[in-house]
Amino acid sequence: MSVASAIKTRDAAELPGKRDEDWRWTDLRGLIRQVPAPSAALDVASLPAGPFDALADELLVVANGQGAAHIGVEPGETKVVALRIVSRGDGSHAARVSVDVEVAGNLTILESYEGEGAYLGQTGLILSLAKDAVVERIILAADDAEGVTVSQAQVDLAPGASFAQTVLTGGARRQRLETIVRHPGGHADLRLDGVYLLADKRHADLTTSVTHAAVDGTTQQLTKGVVRDQARAVFQGKIIVAEGADRTDARMGHHALILSDRAEVDAKPELEIYADDVSCAHGNTVGALDEDALFYARQRGMPEAVARALLTEAFIGEVIDRIDHEGARDVVRAWAAERLGA
Amino acid sequence: MAAVKQTVEHVASLEKYKHGFVSDIEQDFAPKGLNADIVRFISAKKNEPEWMLAWRLDAFERWLAMDEPDWAKVNFPRIDYQDSYYYAAPKEKVGPKSLDEVDPDLLEVYKKLGIPLREQEVLAGVEGAPRYAVDAVFDSVSVVTTFKKELAQVGVIFCSMSEAIREHPELVKQYLGSVVPVSDNYFACLNAAVFSDGSFVYVPPGVRCPMELSTYFRINAENSGQFERTLIIADKGSYVSYLEGCTAPMRDENQLHAAVVELVTMDDAEIKYSTVQNWYPGDPETGKGGIYNFVTKRADCRGDRSKVSWTQVETGSSITWKYPSCILRGNESSGEFYSIAITNGRQQADTGTKMIHLGANTRSRIISKGISAGRSSNTYRGLVSAHPKAKGARNFTQCDSLLIGKHCAAHTVPYIEARNGQSKFEHEATTTRLSEDQLFYAMQRGLSQEEAVQLLVNGFVKDVLQELPMEFAVEAQKLVAISLEGSVG
Repeated sequence: MSVASAIKTRDAAELPGKRDEDWRWTDLRGLIRQVPAPSAALDVASLPAGPFDALADELLVVANGQGAAHIGVEPGETKVVALRIVSRGDGSHAARVSVDVEVAGNLTILESYEGEGAYLGQTGLILSLAKDAVVERIILAADDAEGVTVSQAQVDLAPGASFAQTVLTGGARRQRLETIVRHPGGHADLRLDGVYLLADKRHADLTTSVTHAAVDGTTQQLTKGVVRDQARAVFQGKIIVAEGADRTDARMGHHALILSDRAEVDAKPELEIYADDVSCAHGNTVGALDEDALFYARQRGMPEAVARALLTEAFIGEVIDRIDHEGARDVVRAWAAERLGA
Repeated sequence: MAAVKQTVEHVASLEKYKHGFVSDIEQDFAPKGLNADIVRFISAKKNEPEWMLAWRLDAFERWLAMDEPDWAKVNFPRIDYQDSYYYAAPKEKVGPKSLDEVDPDLLEVYKKLGIPLREQEVLAGVEGAPRYAVDAVFDSVSVVTTFKKELAQVGVIFCSMSEAIREHPELVKQYLGSVVPVSDNYFACLNAAVFSDGSFVYVPPGVRCPMELSTYFRINAENSGQFERTLIIADKGSYVSYLEGCTAPMRDENQLHAAVVELVTMDDAEIKYSTVQNWYPGDPETGKGGIYNFVTKRADCRGDRSKVSWTQVETGSSITWKYPSCILRGNESSGEFYSIAITNGRQQADTGTKMIHLGANTRSRIISKGISAGRSSNTYRGLVSAHPKAKGARNFTQCDSLLIGKHCAAHTVPYIEARNGQSKFEHEATTTRLSEDQLFYAMQRGLSQEEAVQLLVNGFVKDVLQELPMEFAVEAQKLVAISLEGSVG
């Protein structure tokens, strides 16, 4: 019962729907009556450049599910890889990508989802980080308003490893970007951030699940988003601290702005704690722009539209500033500014 | 410090579960099992009119078609609904005219319960005794209802549900099942079919109920499920405060308790509903024998500017599964939920609230304090939602969990659904253990470890305790200490 197997068997009944607790706000079964026919193969050479091409040492393209990709990093090696997940047309496709980073390897993954058409695409990623490996994953999801995308990443950390992720999305007809992390503790470090900027009737679902299995692990999560028109954002964050995983320090924040009367934000920040010597917290706010700040800016002579854009950009900026890779940070900042109309 | 000292003495004197006794009063049982005939039997026993029986039978039909839910974070052996009694009433005690006529055994039970009703005082004519109206549900039938006269003077109706069905059928017909529909959920549906008794309150327009109303529930008959049904209606501009306190005797077999509480507030009305629940939590090592507490509590703030406040202290039951909720339908209506849930031993609690904002400028506030100790599990599960029309809705939620010990669990599962751009929702949750520094500080000042824990825990839950009516707050503070007995060290 998964999206990947539904695409493989073309059985729509296998798609998760709102009766499945984890998919209650991202109903695929109710949306897709029939799984589309497999997508045609794409000529990779004919594609335009991806958003991160110029920043990468290595380029990997997965087009309409073709080209099973593997990224390997040798012990102590440092590299930047651009991973492009391209969807074209109205078919369905699934792909798998595996990433192995060996001891003390350092990898930056610049992942982009580039879609055009009414496709159904699924990508399964398996990332495994050895001791002291450092990985930063930046995901820019630019799907089509008619497309349906599901990206499911599973991250395995070894003690001492460090994994930082920032997801940025503009949504799709339905879009789910899921990250599941097995956190071994042992001073491994995890950061899971997200930004969504949704307009029209777009939907985006950022779902994370982190399991702290042993002592001395830290997790930091910050997700912020803006929805307008009739868009709908979903945030589901789960932190599990297993019995004995003492001295875990986990913090989760989700903050959303709703800029229209018909947009919707659904959030479920969840803590599941089985150990007592832990420090876990989550905060969640949903609301409109601060009227006082807006008033202040307008009083200084700023037109209302500019003031709104400025405040919204500052709101989102806090997450973007946490990105380590400078070039990628600039790319996504420009992407956000364009969407916010600043 | 006096309260702490008192608590410590109390704990010291406590060798076993305080309310763990079984009183032998003759019982009038319906045969074991559940079928349409049992439903008819209950209805006939209570001399109910035809429409009520039809309502029950309809509910029973629907219940048969439903599946038992399993989404809560609680584990328990499947309940055999055919292996339970659905009706038990004390014999020979139909309609006593005063407390003097009541079986002395029954009064003895109240005494053992330590019901702080000061009922006896009041009945003995003691000057200046505080005014409470008590509708004691002794197992299933309301045995004693006092103060009726004084309440009647201001027009407040406070009686047992069976009496209300007979005396005020028009009100019951209008409101029963209007907040919690018959087939709302599995347990509410079961309740609708077999509910035995409960309390009924109607406060007429503009009346501020002159006293706190209170019901003491007590599960007494071995192996008998208790299915109360409570309905409180606060008409325009009225106010009522209702206390519900619960204790149960010790026994070996699990007991199912599936109550339904419905509150309705009209324009400018307010209901304050406070609960202290201290049912038998089961054996601390095995969890055997405790009460299953599956309750549906819901308030419908129908009128503009109406208000409902739920306060609960949940320390008992082996399994607690309840979500007192507010449907904020009226414009500018508000809902509050203050909760302390304490689990120890093998207890499991999955509790929280739902705040459903439908009207404009509605407000809600949720303060939840969960404490887990021993091998227990404590879950906060809550929903805050705003409808597109709920412009200007405001919610503030704070859920704090305290863990005491290595083997307990605390979970927080909030759901937030915001559907308009003019509402503001804030939620924060923390999970921590008892601070070693604070413990050390308190012990350094000469407190024993047990005293220090009690002091810190009482501080942790203070935000909620102070929402309780005075008499309940004192009792609740003691309960908090007793519940955590032996959890540290």
